[in-house]
Amino acid sequence: MGLMDGVDPVLVKKIPGGQIIISSLEWAINTARKNSIWTVTFGLRCCAIEMMAIAAAKYDWARFGLEVPAASPRRADMMIVAGTVVKKMVPVIKRLYEQMPEPKYVIAMGSCAISGGPFKYDTYSVVKGVDKIIPVDVYVPGCPPRPEALFEGIMKLQDKIMKQRLIKEAK
Amino acid sequence: MNYQEILEKLKSKINIIEAKEDLGILNATIDKKSIRDAVIYLKNELNFDHLNFLTAIDWIANLQIEVIYRFYSYQTKDKVVLRVKLERTKPEIETISDLFKTANWHEREVYEMFGVKFLNHPDLRKLLLPDGIEMPLRKDFTCEDFEKKPEF
Repeated sequence: MGLMDGVDPVLVKKIPGGQIIISSLEWAINTARKNSIWTVTFGLRCCAIEMMAIAAAKYDWARFGLEVPAASPRRADMMIVAGTVVKKMVPVIKRLYEQMPEPKYVIAMGSCAISGGPFKYDTYSVVKGVDKIIPVDVYVPGCPPRPEALFEGIMKLQDKIMKQRLIKEAK
Repeated sequence: MNYQEILEKLKSKINIIEAKEDLGILNATIDKKSIRDAVIYLKNELNFDHLNFLTAIDWIANLQIEVIYRFYSYQTKDKVVLRVKLERTKPEIETISDLFKTANWHEREVYEMFGVKFLNHPDLRKLLLPDGIEMPLRKDFTCEDFEKKPEF
């Protein structure tokens, strides 16, 4: 059972008629899912430079299985919103997000995507946080965040993926 | 030409309300009726062949909107700034987009940002703003998610 190495015992739930199979299938699917996150790289401003840095050789996000910046949102699992979201960009973000197949995840990278950042006050054009328009899984603070910070966010997202359940637990 | 020479030449043709020097550049406040004459004179006689930019300032305390034109001459390397003060309640001024093509989009931008109406403009639509945001660079602008910067 080399496949079961490192399985958290918490994952094995008591479900009538096949707890082991359900649980390890869950673990296998989640492991596959977390190590093959294809990405919509939504670089909007300077955070995009840091996002490009982790894609390049020095930081190399392929180590975490995020190898592919998806050419189309229809093939992607995760969207990294890196930068300031303005009101004119809202329909585009919504549309790309809705085109992504479930399950889908969003990382809000940088102060602007979290809350509007330096553009929060006295602005007519900036959306105060991308979570006003689409649900966000992980927030990565920083202005812009270092590549290591974005890795931390990606690893947090992978932890979150590992906690997903295939079925709802019976009460 | 220096600041004084440009001022003397402009004065002979156009009524200048106020003139001051800023970093060696003439800032001439003129009446809004004479803007086209002034621009035609600058372009044809004084060889100001380039419109650097065209923008506006909202002087809310004086109830005025000031439209600012900055010209440059590639031949003599001179710069000159024209300023026109308009009423804030109904700002209207003649277009110069037939004299300088670049003024077309500049005027559309001033129109969407300050609500200044440029008469006889060929295509006075909003330039970049989406619907629902009106005159955002006016000092009293507000919208539903507008937050004033708190005092620290």
